[in-house]
Amino acid sequence: MKNFIAPLPQMPLRPPEEVMRLSRLGSMFPTRLSFLRCLIRRLSDEQAQVSQHVWQMCDNGFGHAVFSIDLGGFTYSLVAVSTDLPAELRTDRAIATAWDSAYVLFDGIPDADDITRIVKNAPLQEAGRFGPRDLVLSRANKSVRLFDHVTQALRAGRQPDAELIRDIGYLMRTTAVYGNGKFGIADRASYDTRPGLGGPFAAEMLTVWLIRHFTHALAEHVGRGTLDRETKRHLGVGNSTGLGMAPFLVTHPVLLNNWMMARETALARVCAVTHLTEAQIARLGVLAARASAHLAQWTVSDNAHQARIELLGEDWANAVAVLTPQALAREMPVCAAMQSVRKMSKDVQELMAALLIEPFGDLVDGLADSMADPFGAYAPCLPDTEALRAQIKQSFGWALDVDYAQKDNCGQFWYVSEAKMEPRLGQRFEEDGALMETPLDIARRVQAAYADLPDTAERVSGFLARHPDHALAVERVTLAATYPYAEIRDNLISQKCLPVDMLRCKLSFFGASKFDPKSDRWTRINLCQGAPLADELNWDADDWWLPVFAA
Amino acid sequence: MNCSANEVMMLAAKAARGAGAPPAQAARFGVAAAAHLMAGRDDGVLGRALAALPKGAIIELPLAINCIEERAEQGRACGALHGFERSLVQSYVSTLPYTAALNDDDILRIDLTKPAQRTPVQRIDLCDEIYLGWAALAARILVPESAASRQSGAGAGLSDND
Repeated sequence: MKNFIAPLPQMPLRPPEEVMRLSRLGSMFPTRLSFLRCLIRRLSDEQAQVSQHVWQMCDNGFGHAVFSIDLGGFTYSLVAVSTDLPAELRTDRAIATAWDSAYVLFDGIPDADDITRIVKNAPLQEAGRFGPRDLVLSRANKSVRLFDHVTQALRAGRQPDAELIRDIGYLMRTTAVYGNGKFGIADRASYDTRPGLGGPFAAEMLTVWLIRHFTHALAEHVGRGTLDRETKRHLGVGNSTGLGMAPFLVTHPVLLNNWMMARETALARVCAVTHLTEAQIARLGVLAARASAHLAQWTVSDNAHQARIELLGEDWANAVAVLTPQALAREMPVCAAMQSVRKMSKDVQELMAALLIEPFGDLVDGLADSMADPFGAYAPCLPDTEALRAQIKQSFGWALDVDYAQKDNCGQFWYVSEAKMEPRLGQRFEEDGALMETPLDIARRVQAAYADLPDTAERVSGFLARHPDHALAVERVTLAATYPYAEIRDNLISQKCLPVDMLRCKLSFFGASKFDPKSDRWTRINLCQGAPLADELNWDADDWWLPVFAA
Repeated sequence: MNCSANEVMMLAAKAARGAGAPPAQAARFGVAAAAHLMAGRDDGVLGRALAALPKGAIIELPLAINCIEERAEQGRACGALHGFERSLVQSYVSTLPYTAALNDDDILRIDLTKPAQRTPVQRIDLCDEIYLGWAALAARILVPESAASRQSGAGAGLSDND
């Protein structure tokens, strides 16, 4: 007789029509399923150690370094190249051709020839060529303000100003972290079966965490002093992210589904918890208070977003007021907590979801194993055009009522730029190029396919033989039958579409915090803030959700 | 040029789009083209497929495979894939996500209930002629950035010496 493992109890999943709206995706927070958290847990489980193989830096911090780490039985090395960059060349923009620092995550320990090659090529970034042992390519610019302050303070024999550490939170910010074969680096498929690198963006997250380690070492080298541990832990890696990242969520529907499904399943599982232990009640209280403190330390320069954060802080105070030990001691307390914020803002709801998932690693951490997409996008074909019609109504009903001829509903178009071959967003009625539009207009395409469906049922292949342009729409509808969270349920060419919402969704899965939108098209963030340092992987390494600077 | 499989896949897909393939068919061609070159098959077939657009194998071969899928009973089906260059058919079949076998008579047998075994990814040496030809086709879908776009990209509007 076979032994079956009983599925864990869970409440119904929140439906895709509620979860997959842009405005909600744009309210997401990192959770313990975020990729950086998963990586750090893995490193911690293995008690991984970072070793410094090379440190060839002048007194001013220019040169190169190599740090290595073992993960899952393999050794990976970050080769870091630090360059003396004139201020006038320093830009986070895609048009940049030079950066303060450049990085390659190398498969193994590089020998002298490898290092020479990488030191020459990495600073060229997109203009360089890379090989199969180069897993990830990245670059970063200094936060000049903080880097100079930190190094000057250390040289003067004191610690840097706590307020600056708290307000800026990183010594450098990356402007690109390239993986999966770009510019000749290794295909993800060449290493994604290795232990520890199977999760989405695992190699990229390992790179970012090692870059953070390098930035600390560089500041201490230039400053000729040692940063306090608490200060160092609060220094993450900044990142400037623009439109280049947004289309990924549309072009990888199964991956998006798997990420969202894992997160929603996690929430559904914790909502099914019937009673909390005293320790769990106390833990929720600590985390709720930490979230409040984090919100208070999250300041941005954009007035509208700062107002949104402040409003969230006020609403959050009301939301957590109901999370009293008495209330949490009742039956189904987690579900009740989630219910209690249903009428509050999406920001509050998503923060509450992230909070409630946090104490239940034993229930949810295993879901991280389901967040990759090792098999590719495939779903069984629908039997005929009537089944296709029914599936469109079920999964894309929201797309059928939109009048895409209206300027407001099609005012933007996505394209790939000639200069950088990167995704961009144009104004359809003001700019040229809409004829070369990138097909992110899934909703419009599905509506067009729906309109062309025949009155009499026929095989879908017969329909597509007459309408080959509808193949993408049919593919997406077919996938939707199997992958309910695969589709962003909003019109992505609408004048009202805010790409920054897509960025926040993806970045929250990375584990980013301190979202700092600079427009509706790009944002700064912080990665690894509060994460364990290289010598803390045997410490309580997983407790850094929404970090707070205590100094 | 020694390329990653993903580079070749993306370039081939963009070339197909530039040559007139709809996006889904172009993406599928990109995957098949990378598999084709990894398997060391005749690269001229790929050029001919691109040249035939907006008709030809890039449009019709995925449809022919879909027709066989639609006939599946209990997940299994078979059907002929005649009228296409065999090596291109082999490449498309090798990228199917389920178990599929093509016999010497170009009869495809599929089992939708069994996922395909993953083929190890390999590097691809792309000759200049193919690279330049595909890049030229891909360039047809590139758009010059407008001033407005440049002013709203990541990093725009700020001093980055902060």
